[in-house]
Amino acid sequence: MRDSKFSGAKALRVAVIGTGEISDEHLRFLAASPRARLEAVCDLSPALARLSARQYGAARAATDYRAMLEEARPDVVHVLTPPHSHATVVRHCLEAGCHVIVEKPIAPTHAEFQDLWTLARGKERWLIEDHNYRFNKPVQRMEQWVRTGRLGEIQEVDVRMALPIREASSRYADENLPHPSHRMPGGVVHEFITHLCYLALRFLPDRSIGDGVGFDRAHALWGNTAGGGLFKYDELDALVIRGGVHARLRLSCQTRPAVLQIVIRGTQGEAATDLYQPYLVLNAPRFGGGQLTPLINQWLSGWHLVFRSLRNFFDKLQRISPYEGLATFLDLTYASLATGGTPPVTFDDMDTTSRLIDLLVAQAGS
Amino acid sequence: MTGASGFIGRHVVAEALRRGHFVSAMVRPATPIRELPWADQERVTLVRLDLRSERHLTEVLLGIETVVHLAVAGWRETVVTTENLLRAMDAAKCTSLVLVSSFAVYDYDRVPPFGLLDETSPLERRPERRDAYCHAKLVQEELAREWGTERGRCLCVLRPGSVIGGNDAWTPRVGIQMTSKWWIRIGAWARLPLSYVENCAEAIVHCAEHRMARGETFNIVDDDLPTQRRYSRRLQKLTRPQPHILPLPWPLLLLTAWLAVLANRALLRGRGRLPQLLRPPSLSARCKPLRYTNRKLREKLDWRPRFTLEEALGRIYRTDE
Repeated sequence: MRDSKFSGAKALRVAVIGTGEISDEHLRFLAASPRARLEAVCDLSPALARLSARQYGAARAATDYRAMLEEARPDVVHVLTPPHSHATVVRHCLEAGCHVIVEKPIAPTHAEFQDLWTLARGKERWLIEDHNYRFNKPVQRMEQWVRTGRLGEIQEVDVRMALPIREASSRYADENLPHPSHRMPGGVVHEFITHLCYLALRFLPDRSIGDGVGFDRAHALWGNTAGGGLFKYDELDALVIRGGVHARLRLSCQTRPAVLQIVIRGTQGEAATDLYQPYLVLNAPRFGGGQLTPLINQWLSGWHLVFRSLRNFFDKLQRISPYEGLATFLDLTYASLATGGTPPVTFDDMDTTSRLIDLLVAQAGS
Repeated sequence: MTGASGFIGRHVVAEALRRGHFVSAMVRPATPIRELPWADQERVTLVRLDLRSERHLTEVLLGIETVVHLAVAGWRETVVTTENLLRAMDAAKCTSLVLVSSFAVYDYDRVPPFGLLDETSPLERRPERRDAYCHAKLVQEELAREWGTERGRCLCVLRPGSVIGGNDAWTPRVGIQMTSKWWIRIGAWARLPLSYVENCAEAIVHCAEHRMARGETFNIVDDDLPTQRRYSRRLQKLTRPQPHILPLPWPLLLLTAWLAVLANRALLRGRGRLPQLLRPPSLSARCKPLRYTNRKLREKLDWRPRFTLEEALGRIYRTDE
């Protein structure tokens, strides 16, 4: 899948389709990156396309993405449209010979993902799903601790996401014009479980071992605890097992505060983070030996929380949001496209995530 | 009438009915009817539509003479709904639009302190330094003006000041309501561009009726505009339990805001997003001492606000009962 066209230092011609909220994160990166040259912004709304193009310095604004693909001939397209439209738009972009970076979920089913991947391979293009939280600094640090054995053998992984999106002010709870995500097989929950799955799978034992599927079995409980006809589901509690390692995935649309917590427990210690109010604590053996380790861990954790509260305040002032990993993800992706290397989110990452989502969604309503 | 169930919209419908008009009142599909006192009146056609979708929009506009566009949401939604409406008006051959914009579109930095802000005052050139509402309203006006010019349609743009009504006459232009017992007043001598909601509704319908309003822009404010000090004291007397008012001099807050900007430049290389009250353009838009007038509305359309400030406060706080 290497392409000599991208091995030089030439900036890639980029187009963005969709100007929803997440587009600002992508466009801010593209406007600043020397590896990208923003050629076009496309949206069904001419004014939004024009405003985004003006704000981020795109050469053109468009409302018809197929015509835009013809005219702008981008090397890379960012597909940021509502989830139910991803598969169709991605297909057209790949057929036009573009590399595609797409927001999650890449497609509603694993079969559709496979079709798109086959098309991408046939066209010698990359198809890359945004797994942005994997590139947030705390998650990268946790991965490092796992790699270096700081936590010992991993035994348990907890990923818990709480998003109070059933509240009246949420766009997902708007009954006037239901959000397109409600049309996904798993409803609105389907839009978010990609995050839970790729984060959990990241800490399960190596996929190269055994069948290469990445997990042995998964059990899911889906619920619609607040009822009503708009939400198919508003709760998910799932258990994913790989060898002796258990991963618990939970999503709640009702509880507060909004969190994305990850806890990794190993035979030597545990690490915990929340990506929405970032902190990162480590309970692991310290230099004081068995007697002093609990004391030192608590002391260091306390200091870290105080420090993080200040840091989070300054991060908010600087508009550093939980999407901070997206810029790293895009930077690594563009570096790989420019040098002909493998993108940071690989086929295996997307394939395993998509398979797991399929398995979880298959258990919805059962 | 779009946004017919909104704070201003429901009064505009009532006023239009009072003047004998037939009203097609557009509300969102999930809006509860019991909140709309005029919903079952004979001359009202209640249309349940979400303007974010173009579905059925053209059909409901067939035969409509004038559209009063009041609906507002988040900034992207405001842009999309306005585009959809204008496209549907074209398709339905509806030729007259009254767009209800806002005082938020003005550039308060380019009007000198205690200067007059009127329809000729400069518009904000850099809305990104203000807020999403300012941005949305500017884009909305731009779209409507393009439509008016390119299609040769009749457009009237109305910019109400701070609209008061309902159960509360508070406006953020006075300061901050910290708690129900403690208010912070920012400044003292700035005039408040108040418009009592029934006066504002009357002005909107008046402009929709009047041929002379076409192609014009009007600010909507009441007569006898109070200073922050006079108004906050009046509200204090009307509120139970009576709150305490903590006065904060406007120049002091402005100085603080500029110091925050300098600190942002020095420490965060200007990347910091300061709170609204520490951003000089937003602070000016809210509390800068300026003067306002409804002279153009009076002279061109012979409009007079029906209720004085005291009468308006009496209706809001039911002291007239």
